[in-house]
Amino acid sequence: MVKEHETENHEAQADDRVAFGFWVYLMTDLLMFAVLFATFAVLRGNTFGGPALRELFSLPLALTETLILLTSSFTAGLGMLAVRRGSKNQVLTWFGITFLLGLAFLGFELKEFAEFIHEGHTWQSSASLSSFFTLVGTHGLHITSGLLWMGTTLVFIWKRGLNSHLVRKLTLLSLFWHFLDIVWIFIFTVVYLMAYV
Amino acid sequence: MNKTPHPTNTSPKPHHGTLTSYVTGFVLSLVFTLIPYYLVVNKSLRGDALLATIIGFAIVQLVIQVVFFLHLGREKKPRWNLLFLISTVSLIVLVVGASIWIMRHLHYNMMPGDVTNKVANDEAVHQVSGLQAGTCPGGTGTIYKVELKNDVASPRHTNAHLCDILIIMNLDDTTRDIEFGVHAKHETYAGEFGGALRPHYSRMITLTELGTHKFHDHLEDKMTGDFTVTP
Repeated sequence: MVKEHETENHEAQADDRVAFGFWVYLMTDLLMFAVLFATFAVLRGNTFGGPALRELFSLPLALTETLILLTSSFTAGLGMLAVRRGSKNQVLTWFGITFLLGLAFLGFELKEFAEFIHEGHTWQSSASLSSFFTLVGTHGLHITSGLLWMGTTLVFIWKRGLNSHLVRKLTLLSLFWHFLDIVWIFIFTVVYLMAYV
Repeated sequence: MNKTPHPTNTSPKPHHGTLTSYVTGFVLSLVFTLIPYYLVVNKSLRGDALLATIIGFAIVQLVIQVVFFLHLGREKKPRWNLLFLISTVSLIVLVVGASIWIMRHLHYNMMPGDVTNKVANDEAVHQVSGLQAGTCPGGTGTIYKVELKNDVASPRHTNAHLCDILIIMNLDDTTRDIEFGVHAKHETYAGEFGGALRPHYSRMITLTELGTHKFHDHLEDKMTGDFTVTP
């Protein structure tokens, strides 16, 4: 009994350490995004004779992306509640929905990029567009790697069930997902909304 | 003892919320996304007031997400995660704030336009490039002002002579894109291109090309005006 308690405590401490290590990674990632935001804020007006960013953007599209990502952050939270209840099917359902929402978000983002490039506004056109594509694209790459991580973890859970190793993975993954949601809120505000001020 | 696969409640673990906290966080973040969006779309606020409001909403949104989704306030002491977040945010405020501040000053002191204007004034050359570029060796004449306020240019029409000066002043709280010619068919005037005119800034044009010329705000094309230059 005492021994069991001790190992549990040990595991909990190990989990805390892993979570903290991951948190440190997230904070350094946040610093990188901060630098990209600063670059964008400085360069966004330098259109090299091309149209201003606000003439290229579609605000309804940006709002759709934001709502999709917000909802996916919420469903990831519900997935974590299912993890605590130990219900494998609910975990697969909620994280499955999160995965599909993430995929939809990525689709809309790529659609926007493709339209820009099709109209001749590539990341090489001006400093303004370079900083736009770098900032938003970096976030998109994070979403892509998050989706890969989520997809493989879900396959493992489906095959092997909810073991402590996979639970830990999901905990970190949900942290990562909420973090990307927060970064996107600032992209929505600074890149899209502020272009219309 | 039966050991359950999921964590027991022996120690309060971080990053775990309740259904209520997730629902509250979700509803609040929807509200705080939609309000700034409609403020921007409906143009109910303009200029600095709008800017301050949407940034304010983003920061409230950050706090909502940190509290309701990341559950940062609830970890055991010492709160390393929270401390680390606070130090990172301070670094970010420094990096982003200082970059924008420094670059803005650099930008205004080294704008190509300023350098060109200085050289032009020193050399008594007034339009530096252009289709029909001319100089005004006898100096410039009368200064005419056009005020842009509430999307109306007053006076709408200006009569001037060659080498007079036209100053277009933006008295509204919104950035304009003043272009020569009519909407969607932009022209240059005496080699000068149109461009952004920030709130409460003005643009000086030396009238070195004859004829009647139109200008308009590309972003609010009902705002138009023209000027006639005679010898």
